[in-house]
Amino acid sequence: MDVTLLKVTAILYLLASASFVVYIFLLRDFVSSLSPIILLVGFVVHTAALGVHFLQTGYPGVAQFREALSFYAWLLVASYLLIQLKYRLGILGSIIAPLAFLMTLAAFAFGTGDAELPPGLKTYWLPIHVTLAFLGNAVFALAFGVSLMYLLQENHLKRKKMTSVMKRFPSLEALDKLNYVLLVWGFPLMTLGILTGSMWAGIQWGNYWSWDPRQISSGIAWLFYGVLLHGRITAGLRGKKAALLTMVGFAVVLGYFLWGDSLFPSRHGGRFE
Amino acid sequence: MHKEIVIVGMNHRSAPIDVRESVAFEASYVREALGRLRTYPSIQESVILSTCNRVEVVAAASNGESASEEIRAFLAEQRARKSRHPLDDHMYIHHGPEAVRHLFRVAASLDSMVVGEPQILGQLKEYYNAAQAAGTVGTILHRLFHRSFSVAKRVRSETAIASRAVSVSSVAVELAKRIFDRLDDKTVMLIGAGKMGDLMARHLQRSGVHSVMVTNRTFERAVELAGRIHGSPILFEDFPRYLTLADLVIGCTGAPEILVDAGTVEKVLRERKQKAMFFIDIGDRRNFDPAINEIDNVYLYNIDDLKGVAEENLQERSNEAEKAEGIVQEEVHNFTRWISSLEQVPTITALRQRLEDIRQRELERSLGGSLRDLSEKQKEALEDMTTAMMNKILHAPMSHLKFDSKDEDEKTLYIAALKKLFDLER
Repeated sequence: MDVTLLKVTAILYLLASASFVVYIFLLRDFVSSLSPIILLVGFVVHTAALGVHFLQTGYPGVAQFREALSFYAWLLVASYLLIQLKYRLGILGSIIAPLAFLMTLAAFAFGTGDAELPPGLKTYWLPIHVTLAFLGNAVFALAFGVSLMYLLQENHLKRKKMTSVMKRFPSLEALDKLNYVLLVWGFPLMTLGILTGSMWAGIQWGNYWSWDPRQISSGIAWLFYGVLLHGRITAGLRGKKAALLTMVGFAVVLGYFLWGDSLFPSRHGGRFE
Repeated sequence: MHKEIVIVGMNHRSAPIDVRESVAFEASYVREALGRLRTYPSIQESVILSTCNRVEVVAAASNGESASEEIRAFLAEQRARKSRHPLDDHMYIHHGPEAVRHLFRVAASLDSMVVGEPQILGQLKEYYNAAQAAGTVGTILHRLFHRSFSVAKRVRSETAIASRAVSVSSVAVELAKRIFDRLDDKTVMLIGAGKMGDLMARHLQRSGVHSVMVTNRTFERAVELAGRIHGSPILFEDFPRYLTLADLVIGCTGAPEILVDAGTVEKVLRERKQKAMFFIDIGDRRNFDPAINEIDNVYLYNIDDLKGVAEENLQERSNEAEKAEGIVQEEVHNFTRWISSLEQVPTITALRQRLEDIRQRELERSLGGSLRDLSEKQKEALEDMTTAMMNKILHAPMSHLKFDSKDEDEKTLYIAALKKLFDLER
C-alpha cells in the first residue's frame, strides 16, 4: 500500500470537505466550482495509489478491511463525479467529501502493512465481485445523501423557514428525480454484486448460497430496495416517504458493512478457508 | 496634475420625490447637460446619474471646492426650469475618498431604497456609457466606474445581499423554485380574479410558467383576466375536477370560506401519483384548509407566511449589508492608493525641480556677484556642496513619500502639504 499517496488523498478529501463547508455557510460563490475540482484531484491521486498497490502486489487492494474502506471511498467519489457531470449537483459533495475523507482516514487506523493474500482470494472473482457490490453500495450511499438533503429541504419548507443554507440545496423535485435515478442504477449493480458473489461461492465451495451473514443482510437490503423501486414505478411512491425508505435501506447495508464481520463469523471476514 | 473626485447630488433620503423630479435629467437630455458641465472651469471629467431615487453628478476636478460650487450652480440651474426654491438643504457633497465610497455603495446597492435591489448597477452602467459617448469620461472616472462595477460584483458574489426575495410575489416564486425543479412544465390554477392573484400569476409567468387556469365565481371576470394573462378560463363549479392538473394553486377570492379542504387534496394527490403541489393562499380570508400543509408532498403558504419570510429576508439583507460595507471599505482604500500613486511621482519630480531651480538661480547670482573671483576648482566645489545639501534636505521627505508611510491617508496628506508648502501647483 502506498502510504504517501493515500495520505495526500486524505488531505485533498479533507480540503474538499472544508471548501464545501465554506461554500454552504459563507456563501462564497467562487468556491462552488473549486470544491469539486479539489475532489477530482483527490480522486486522481487516489486512483494512482490504488494503481501503485496493484503493481506492487499483483492483486487489487480490496481484500483487507482497510483496503476495502479505501476502495469504497474511491468508488463513492467516482460515482459522485459521474453524477456531477450530468446533474450538476455540486452540493452533494458536501456529504460525499467528508465521508470519503473519514473512510480514507479509517483505512490508516487499521495499519499500513501489506498482508499476504490467502490463496482462496487469488482469483479474478475477487475484484469483479467486490467492485460490483461496492459500486452498488456507493450508489446507495449517494442516494442516502440525496435523501438526507431532500428531508432537510422538505422540513424547512413545511416549517416555513428559508435559511441561506437551504438555498444552496437543489429543489425537492430535482432531488427526488435523482434519488430515483440512483435507485435505478444501484439496484441492478447490487443484484450483479450478489450474483457474482454467489457464482464465485458456487465455483469455490460448490454451494451458491450458504446463509452467510453478509449474504443474508444483502439479501434483505436487496429485497428492500426492490420493493422500493417497485413502489416508485407503480404506486407513485415518492417524496418524503421514498427518501426515508432510501435512508433506512442504506443504514442496513452500512451497518453490516462496518460491524457485521466482527459480530458474526463469516467468509467475508477473516475466516475464508 | 492634481485631480479630486467630487460627487454632488441628492437621493431618496436627502430629498423628497418632487424635489428629485424637478432636478432629474431626461435620458435624451443627458448628453447636452454633460456638454454644459464641461464648460465649467474646474470640472475635467463628469458623469450624470439620474434615476427615480437619485440625481447625482460625479466629477473629477482640479479643485474640489470650486468644482462642488460649480456643480451646485449647475443643478440649481437645472432646477430653475421648474422651481425657484433653493436646493441646498437637499443636497450632499462628497469629496475624495468619501466620494469614492459613496459611488461604490451606490453601485453595490447599499444606498438603494430597497437594499440589494439589482437595477441600480444597470442604470449606473447606462449613464456611464452615455458620458463616455459624450466624451466627458477620462482616466480617473473610467477607472472609478469600472472599479465600482467590480465592487458591485464582489458584493453580489461574496454576500447574500441580493439573493433574498423581499416581496410577497418573489418569495412565492422562490419557494416554488425550491419545490419544483423547473416551472415551464408546471400548471398554475388561479382561484379568484383579485389583484394579488393577477400579480402573482404574472410573476410566475415571468419565471417560466406557461400554463395558467383561471376560475372565478363570476365567469366573465375569469374570462377577462384569462384574456389578459393568456390563461384559460374554467367554470367555478368545475375547478375541483381540474385540481389534478394544477401544480401551483393560488387562492385569492376574498370570500371567507374554505374552498379546498385537506380531504380533497389527499384524493387529488392520489390521482396525481403524489406529484408535489404548492398552495398559495393570498387573500385576506383563508380559502384553503390549513391542514393541507400536513399532507406529504403538499405545501401551503398563506399571505402571513409569505410576509414572514419576506421580513426575515429583509433582516438578513441588512446583516449582509455589514459584510458588504467591509468590502466597500477595502476597495475605497485600494482606489485611494491608486489616485495618490498617480500624484506621487509628479509631486516628487516637481519638488526636486523646484529646489534645483532655486539652487541654480542662487548659484548664478552669487557666482556673478560676490563670488566672482573663485577659481574653477572652487566653483566646482561650491556646485557639489549645494547639490549635496539639496539631496540631503530632500532625502527624508522623499523616502516618506515613497516607502515609509504605510498609511495611505497620511501619504495623501503629505502630498497635499508639499504641494501647498512649496507652491508646486503654480
